[in-house]
Amino acid sequence: MIAIDGSDGGGQILRSSLTLSLLTGEAFRITQIRGQREQPGLKRQHLTCVQAALEIGKGAADGAVLGSRELVFHPGKVAAGDYHIRMSTAGSTTLVLQTLLLPLLQAEAESTVVIEGGTHNPMAPPVDYVQDVFLPVLRRMGADVALTLERYGFAPAGGGRIRARIRPSALTPIHLIARGRCLEERARVLAAHLDEGVIKRQRRALAKGLDWAEKALQTEVITESDGPGNVLMIGGVWEQGSEWVSTFGKRGRTSESVVREAVKGWRRYVQSGAPVGRRLGDQLLLPASLAPGSRFRMESSSNHFETNRRVIESFLPVKMVTREEESGVVDVKVTT
Amino acid sequence: MDKIGIIGILGTSLDRPTAVERWHQWRPSVAICQQDDLIVSTFLLLYPPTHQTLADCVAHDITLVSPETQVETIPLPLENPWDFAEVYGALFDWARGTRFHQEETEWLLHITTGTHVQQICLFLLNEAHYLPGKLLQSSPPRGGKDDVQGSYALIDLDLSKYDQLAGRFQRESLASQDFLKSGIATKNAAFNHLIERIETVVLRSTAPILLTGPTGAGKSQLAQRIYQLRQQRCALEGAFVEVNCATLRGDTAMSTLFGHVKGAFTGAQRDRPGLLREAHGGLLFLDEIGELGLDEQAMLLRALEEKVFLPMGGDRPVKSHFQLIAGTNHDLAARVREKAFREDLFARINLWHFHLPSLSERREDIEPNVSYELERFAQAENRQVRLNKEARDRFLQFSQSPEATWKANFRDLNAAITRMATLASRGRITIAEVDEEIARLRDAWQEAPSQNDHERLIHETLGPEAASQLDPFDRVQLGYVLSVCQQSRSLSEAGRTLFAVSRQNRSRPNDADRLRKYLARHGLDWEKSRHQGSL
Repeated sequence: MIAIDGSDGGGQILRSSLTLSLLTGEAFRITQIRGQREQPGLKRQHLTCVQAALEIGKGAADGAVLGSRELVFHPGKVAAGDYHIRMSTAGSTTLVLQTLLLPLLQAEAESTVVIEGGTHNPMAPPVDYVQDVFLPVLRRMGADVALTLERYGFAPAGGGRIRARIRPSALTPIHLIARGRCLEERARVLAAHLDEGVIKRQRRALAKGLDWAEKALQTEVITESDGPGNVLMIGGVWEQGSEWVSTFGKRGRTSESVVREAVKGWRRYVQSGAPVGRRLGDQLLLPASLAPGSRFRMESSSNHFETNRRVIESFLPVKMVTREEESGVVDVKVTT
Repeated sequence: MDKIGIIGILGTSLDRPTAVERWHQWRPSVAICQQDDLIVSTFLLLYPPTHQTLADCVAHDITLVSPETQVETIPLPLENPWDFAEVYGALFDWARGTRFHQEETEWLLHITTGTHVQQICLFLLNEAHYLPGKLLQSSPPRGGKDDVQGSYALIDLDLSKYDQLAGRFQRESLASQDFLKSGIATKNAAFNHLIERIETVVLRSTAPILLTGPTGAGKSQLAQRIYQLRQQRCALEGAFVEVNCATLRGDTAMSTLFGHVKGAFTGAQRDRPGLLREAHGGLLFLDEIGELGLDEQAMLLRALEEKVFLPMGGDRPVKSHFQLIAGTNHDLAARVREKAFREDLFARINLWHFHLPSLSERREDIEPNVSYELERFAQAENRQVRLNKEARDRFLQFSQSPEATWKANFRDLNAAITRMATLASRGRITIAEVDEEIARLRDAWQEAPSQNDHERLIHETLGPEAASQLDPFDRVQLGYVLSVCQQSRSLSEAGRTLFAVSRQNRSRPNDADRLRKYLARHGLDWEKSRHQGSL
């Protein structure tokens, strides 16, 4: 049984472990779950994630209760099927999808996964990001995946819904070394049940901060959502790769400050010249590990990246060779 | 793990509004289902039918943020949600008609929403076990504006579960017990347990108490202490009224207890309130209740049951609300069989019956009581008196020996200490005073001759040390043997008397030899057995 120390991370260590366990068929024991968080142990959305992993993997677990600091997970055989998962407290739907996606690619038949909850959460990749940034890379590796957003869900109300169709596919190595030519740049203001004036202010600040033409700025007023929500996204498409940088508006925060943060993140990505952004780097590491020989250059390293790497190396006979360039860009190679 | 169920009342203001703005607000009924460390399986949401829309909105939002939760909205029509009787009645009826399946669900009563009256009623129904579970209190977010779920706390009404509080209650209770024992550190386990029980009962109940036990066992003092304890802890305002029923005879008995009106009988020149009325709002201690006449018993019963009675010669009933402690050294049940005591009155005062043991049944408590009596003497006489170690040992040895019967219990002990302390010169009780007192006590307890004289013979013949080592079984035998020896002129004569039956079956009686061996077993011989004075 593989032993995982969860003390220096959050839910990501748990989710990566679940994915890897389902992929490899190896049982694991994770201790000190979310050890250094204010309220350590399994929270509701982690528990839902464990239960979802148990459902698709026909496995068994010990310690799958609220507040648990230790979990033993025994996977069975991953089965294709139609799955419906409901996240409480507007928990992120994309994080659960990420956990289940790779294992279901290895199943024997097509699966449909419907997940309800939050579709745009501050601490998780928004659905648009998964659709426009992550999945295109995964498709290039050979994955047959489609993802649709059926209803928006913002914290704290939730009520969003995404639907993924996943067909059995084998992954081939990917190479993302240089970006290539820029094909498109755009910015979006997503607003659900938001004051008209706030939207205007955000557009104005965006136009000023990015110095873009008006038509590159989109406003999407969402009426089909239970609760209010506000996300600001800046992104672009290159020949090799794409990116969405997003920040969330919330009460008590000025539009200007929301825009400033987004623009700053955007500039950082653009200036790095790397095809893979920080967030994509974290997410790409797992599929890349399943296709040794993959290589990518990412904007910069992060704590997430390091913990993910440690967990992967516990389950798979692969090595991540990283080299940090002078600019801070990290070159990652997966070898056996 | 048990499932969690919540019982809550729709907050007609806190759970508002229904517009989309609501997601920026802390709404207790929704927020309690948004907690990261609490999964609610069932939510029974009671709501006023006038607020159907709000109830539906809250139920919808709960299922949205907590798909694990089954919300059941239950209309609870109330004319006035601030009317205590109506709210309590409605909640009570609902609780009685609902099955809570406690075996599979742990219930939490959400007392954050609803009117204060509704919250109080939830609390009361919970405490009376009509509504199961623990109380749940939720609070709004502090500081940070982005978390709307706030926090929550469980309140378990079993206060003994809170270590700190339990410690305080324990100290309080010990202090009360100590008070009931007049601060005497008694060691007798049975007595201490009795006091523990009494402490619990007198602070929780105002029902009559029956104290039985031999004369001088401390009934009167305990009654007075109970009164003082209730005065301090239960806000008892009236007076402590004590009367020995043995002193009440004839007409005066009625009049003393129940009072009379002017002219009720010859010599009744003015109204007299009577003891029952004096004890109004206080505590009446009727000692020797077995001595009360049958007429008075009937009147007392009515006064206990209906809180009213008729003064002598009066035609209007008088009210008195008093607590009663009855004392007796009789077997009241036997008096009931003899028809000397009313059965219904006995049943009425026998609800809490405590039997105080005699002093001879708790000899280990003599020592602390000696110190207490000395202290009491010092306070009363304003004169400190000490027992030196030797004198104390001698007195305790005597007082703990079976020879000391303590017939009048604490009265004897109190008298003994008072006498010794009074006679002691320069504030010091010496062996001389102790020996003198021992002789005096022996004299006083003389009346039960055979038993006591045998005891004395053993004591004097064997010496106190060896005497105290004897089993009661051997005591009776040796006592009788020694008394026969005293009355006989020779070992053979004593032997003949003692073995009068068995010697007839022997061809060669050897009574003298058998007696000699018996005495030798106790380290005695013929001379020693007759050493002490005669009967």
